[in-house]
Amino acid sequence: MKLKKSLIIALVLVITGIGTWEIYWRSQGFYPTIDDDKDLWAVQRAKVEKATDQDVLLTGSSRILFDIQLDAWERETGRRPIQLAYVGSSPLPVFHDIVENTDFKGTIVVGVTPGLFFSTTNPKANPWEWPQSRVDHYHNRTYAQRLNHKLSLPLQESFAFLSEDQGIDGLKLKELLGKVQIGNRIPNNMPPFHEFGEIARDRNLKMKDIVVRDTAYANSIIRVWMFFGKDAPPPDKEATMAFFLKDLEKYKARGGNVILVRCPSSGGLREGEKMRLPRTEFWDDLVQKAQVKSYHFEDYEQLKFECPEWSHLSAADAEIFTTELVKIILKDNALPTSKTH
Amino acid sequence: MLFNSLSFVIFFILVLVLYYAKIFNWTNKKRMLLLASYIFYGLWNPPLVILLWISTMVDWIAGNKLAAEENQRKRNMWLMMSMFVNLGFLFFFKYRDFMLDNFTAVVNTYGYGYQSQPMDILLPMGISFYTFQTMSYTIDVYKRQIEPARTFLDFALYVTFFPQLVAGPIVRAKDLISQFYEEKKATANQFIWGLFLLSIGLFQKVVLADTLLADTSNTAFGSASVLNFLDAWAGTLAFSGQIFFDFAGYSTCAIGIALMLGFFLPDNFRYPYASLGFSDLWQRWHITLSSWLRDYVYIPMGGNRHGVLKTYVFLMLTMLIGGLWHGAAWTFIAWGGLHGAYLILERLQRRYLPFEITAKNGFFLALTTFGCVTFTWVFFRAKDFHSAWNMIKSMLFLNPDGEKILGTFDIIKVFIVIGIMLLCHWFMRNTSMKEVSEKTSPWILGVVWAVMIFMIAIAQGSGEQFIYFQF
Repeated sequence: MKLKKSLIIALVLVITGIGTWEIYWRSQGFYPTIDDDKDLWAVQRAKVEKATDQDVLLTGSSRILFDIQLDAWERETGRRPIQLAYVGSSPLPVFHDIVENTDFKGTIVVGVTPGLFFSTTNPKANPWEWPQSRVDHYHNRTYAQRLNHKLSLPLQESFAFLSEDQGIDGLKLKELLGKVQIGNRIPNNMPPFHEFGEIARDRNLKMKDIVVRDTAYANSIIRVWMFFGKDAPPPDKEATMAFFLKDLEKYKARGGNVILVRCPSSGGLREGEKMRLPRTEFWDDLVQKAQVKSYHFEDYEQLKFECPEWSHLSAADAEIFTTELVKIILKDNALPTSKTH
Repeated sequence: MLFNSLSFVIFFILVLVLYYAKIFNWTNKKRMLLLASYIFYGLWNPPLVILLWISTMVDWIAGNKLAAEENQRKRNMWLMMSMFVNLGFLFFFKYRDFMLDNFTAVVNTYGYGYQSQPMDILLPMGISFYTFQTMSYTIDVYKRQIEPARTFLDFALYVTFFPQLVAGPIVRAKDLISQFYEEKKATANQFIWGLFLLSIGLFQKVVLADTLLADTSNTAFGSASVLNFLDAWAGTLAFSGQIFFDFAGYSTCAIGIALMLGFFLPDNFRYPYASLGFSDLWQRWHITLSSWLRDYVYIPMGGNRHGVLKTYVFLMLTMLIGGLWHGAAWTFIAWGGLHGAYLILERLQRRYLPFEITAKNGFFLALTTFGCVTFTWVFFRAKDFHSAWNMIKSMLFLNPDGEKILGTFDIIKVFIVIGIMLLCHWFMRNTSMKEVSEKTSPWILGVVWAVMIFMIAIAQGSGEQFIYFQF
């Protein structure tokens, strides 16, 4: 029974090895997190098929993800929104998918991060390709993929070493090997990029406390924004506006409600936005042409916040921001109906 | 469903529990395996299970008619019907758009300005594998080399048996159907060995192919730039390793899973990168496909029975069909054509420049064979001839100003992995994993096994699809 002996040895070593591996990474400050992957997004997208006219969808980029807290929104309106925003993305592909492929005619909140909203309609460019790949995955996902996702969630929530984080915080073998650098054959000037949010099963995202507590950590993220901002391609206002307005008209024609939201940014990033994408030329023009309810954080004292890394709100501020934003929206009768307190 | 997925783990545990629990008799166990196989396939795309049913029904009926019928004309008709349905599926799902594109291109060279409407039909997973498998059954019954399956259940399970359904090995009816006639149960040793093979297969796929090689290969072949010499070689070598570990990994998993149920599937790979020439290669690489092409294409075409020149023509045609089997693109046909040319050149060498293979020149010959095979992978992997040609030129140092796109560590990693792979193939070429494991201390085997599972656990990602599923 030589093989049986080998099997027992292997099992003992594997359990010991994986246990040690997990303990080591936890001792280094890592903990289990859920991956914001295509499957997690698709689960939320699937909810749209059964959503009613009273429901709210959130689309946009990371600012909507970080800044709109689902608990706070639900507390104020009685309904939990469906979070469909995704980091580094234009909201246009997701909005287009909702308009073209669903009968939904409730409220869609469109987050307008100028550098992403007005970035491109090129299907190969990241701000378009990333959200589009999620839309495509939703439409093409197999039953096996759905099952794998359901089975993987309890594991993701239990083991830190299963984290799908990439780059400097990545723990997968591929990521660990990717950190090995020999020489400078391919110059890579991108600063190390830390993961700075934690997502829940319903894609409610909160900024990690460390970003608020540790200035060096926050500065490392700021350096990444500056790196991307430096070589960002020029905006394509004409194409993006035309694409969005066409979908918007179609959505409005079937009775849908759209709200545009400009979430806070601060520091050098806000100054950069003012220079590259001045409000009058981009936001104001969009609002004027869209003819829907629109909220810019600079127009309301209660919506003005300092972002720890210039682009997103801390978890505590996001809670306040959402509460105040919803109050303004409700007061403005921008939602079809609202909870009566 | 992928072997490297959580859903498969749960699925397989349930199958094993139902298979080994004493609640079913043998017939019901086979029914359970058949149902499990349909679920295995259907979890990918349920409606396409219908194709499996049609293929099963058609070949079951054709097989029985062929066995009973004495009239040769009617026998030919039944065979043609089976071929028509199976090849028809293959043509419709896999080659329709390719043929349409080429037709359009030819017509438009005469200035007709024809616009085709590609259908962009979803390619049913593993269609090339199961159609070849069912066709082999019908042809063997036609040639009266085998008896038809005893029951419809046995035949349906042969067509659909989940361990090898979507990417082989392509198993002949005589090797598998007869295993379904008597109750099968793995011994404890077979079960554990099957589990070991499953671990090795997953290690090849998850760690070696997906984690260590895929990114380098994808970066090199996905680049729009003309590459530097080192980057071109690293990318191509990475693909040589990736496709071997991906496909051999799948086959090893399939063999291991079947063994855990008490069934034996044939070897599909025998350390092919230590082949001494190209005839040797095709007896070591994707063995069940190359033997299929030999038995059902090359030999019926005439084989070596009609003189040297025709032998070469038949060889070339067989390899071109082999290339086309892999994918509906001219690059795959070029890949097959290159292998055909290699086989012809090898036969010419044996005829006019024969030499004895020794240990020393053998290693050199193995490296030369591997080098030539590596060049063919460029056509297999590149998206078009232009990219393939650029890659070949870079590998031949004809693009001295090519762009550097890979980091030093990536290049070193690929050369180390490929170097170790070649040495393993060389030292294992005349033996088998089973033989080596029997000579190895259980402690060492246990440690190696543990290291593999540990690496799988820390490397496992979202579950990359196996490359050969697309064929």
